[in-house]
Amino acid sequence: MKLKTAPRMAVNLGRLKLKNPVMTASGTFGYGEEYADYVDLNKLGAVVVKGLSLKQRLGNPPPRIMETTGGMLNSVGLQNIGVDAFIEDKLPFLRKYDAAVIANVYGETYDEFKKVTKILSAAKGVHALEVNISCPNVKSGGVIFGSDPKIAARVTKTVKEETSLPVIVKLTPNVTDIVAIARAVEKAGADAISLINTLTGMSVDLKTRKPHLKNITGGLSGPAIKPVALRMVWEVVQMVSIPVIGIGGIMTAQDALEFLIVGAQAVQIGTANFVNPHATMEIIEGIQSYLAANKIKDINEIIGTFQP
Amino acid sequence: MAKNIYIGKILKNEEVQKDCFLMKIKIAVSFETPLPGQFVMIRIAGLNDPFLSRPISIYSFSRKNNFCLIELLYRVVGKGTQIMAGLIEGSQVEINGPLGNGFEIQSVKKNVVFIAGGIGIAPLSLLIENLCRRFPSSLMTLYFGAQRASAVIGLNKLQKMCRLVNICTDDGSLGEKNLVTRVFQKDIKKFLPEDTSIYACGPKEMLVALGKIFSKNEFDCQVSLEERMACGTGACMGCAVAIKDKKGALVYQRVCADGPVFYLRDIIWE
Repeated sequence: MKLKTAPRMAVNLGRLKLKNPVMTASGTFGYGEEYADYVDLNKLGAVVVKGLSLKQRLGNPPPRIMETTGGMLNSVGLQNIGVDAFIEDKLPFLRKYDAAVIANVYGETYDEFKKVTKILSAAKGVHALEVNISCPNVKSGGVIFGSDPKIAARVTKTVKEETSLPVIVKLTPNVTDIVAIARAVEKAGADAISLINTLTGMSVDLKTRKPHLKNITGGLSGPAIKPVALRMVWEVVQMVSIPVIGIGGIMTAQDALEFLIVGAQAVQIGTANFVNPHATMEIIEGIQSYLAANKIKDINEIIGTFQP
Repeated sequence: MAKNIYIGKILKNEEVQKDCFLMKIKIAVSFETPLPGQFVMIRIAGLNDPFLSRPISIYSFSRKNNFCLIELLYRVVGKGTQIMAGLIEGSQVEINGPLGNGFEIQSVKKNVVFIAGGIGIAPLSLLIENLCRRFPSSLMTLYFGAQRASAVIGLNKLQKMCRLVNICTDDGSLGEKNLVTRVFQKDIKKFLPEDTSIYACGPKEMLVALGKIFSKNEFDCQVSLEERMACGTGACMGCAVAIKDKKGALVYQRVCADGPVFYLRDIIWE
């Protein structure tokens, strides 16, 4: 028997309501416009834009990327146009679409986090903030803020004090105990947690014996990291009570469903966009077909139904 | 929403010289006519290894009644191109494109000079074809350097299109035994900056040498660059090239979305 109506796809991330659980991951979807020719942005649960700093950032010198087996390394270094240019030049475009806009916030100091948060919170058309304490490719801030529970909590608190928007904190997997960090940011007031950012890695050119990346190390992403991401999401969902967004190597609807079953309320699609610009659309349709085929009326009926 | 990912069917994939292949692909008629200098991202559908698509410039394009033909001229340099080289006739590939900005050809001058190094002839060949059609009265001169005679690809076609073709090879097996940049430098007095358009593509060493030649005069030279890419659409920021902005400060631009064609004088070489 077929379902009479299409399965309901809406999910809630605390106060943030999404029409479906599929969003783009920061740094893999530009400011939305880069993919507007390929994807109907209206169909996305949310667009998470490239990490924004107070002033524009140059980024790291090339070469910045290297392919690996089932993935890629990048050391872009948060090249971005700065928060003011984002609001002036990029946000008006995103406002035209019916997808939540989540701005990824980056700072080298607590003060920078504070200022960027304040500016974004005053802008029309930003629905939530994602706090970047997990970029492995910058010398100050980034992963340094995300590796210590006390510092991660302080950044979270700093951002929360400056905004009334929902605050998602994006965690790095490059830590010994990700649960400790997750609990610390929850206690500090985070409305949701997203994980994982990239895993630090490297690659060597045999001809020159030099690193393939000018920065020597970079962040590994792509399907190669999915099992690690899934394991970390599972560890975290058991120990926090705020919503968790699963990120890491999701290429297909099947991958996304694994994260949802384990307990993620939503997912972010990252590197898959590079390889297949239609990935987000195919994943949304794939989840819907799976629910319909299994006679599940509402996506929330599947979230957290993992049977270990 | 306008752009599709196309499924192309390989009609021919032959080794035209050592490690250098010409792939002829049949693709849907809705494929946009590429501008000279544009490229495609190509991959084998469903494969996660190699994981990323490969950026390859378009060597030739033609539109038939109910399909289009694309030719890609590529050199085997790594795993991805190695696998491409092994694809047989009838195989399918995924094509995203055409991508990037082509050469600026709105204001082509009386003299047009092309400087190609090896496989760098690929985007220039499409450009030469296009300019011959659009500006038949321009005087086209090609300087083409390659390792050896067999690496001078498409010479017959190029000789028909250009008024003058200067060939040089590293081993002297065809034309002068010299570097293409030196051959051009000897001739530079024949051209005046105000009535000459210059286009170049080739290995980095060649472009750096050209940069030095053009730093002492007023010639404007457009070059097509290549860089490792993940997305090809401007999102990943992976294919960065150092460029002088209007104030002379270093900025990183994207070879895929801001290029792949740049003015040589704007590029900052390391």
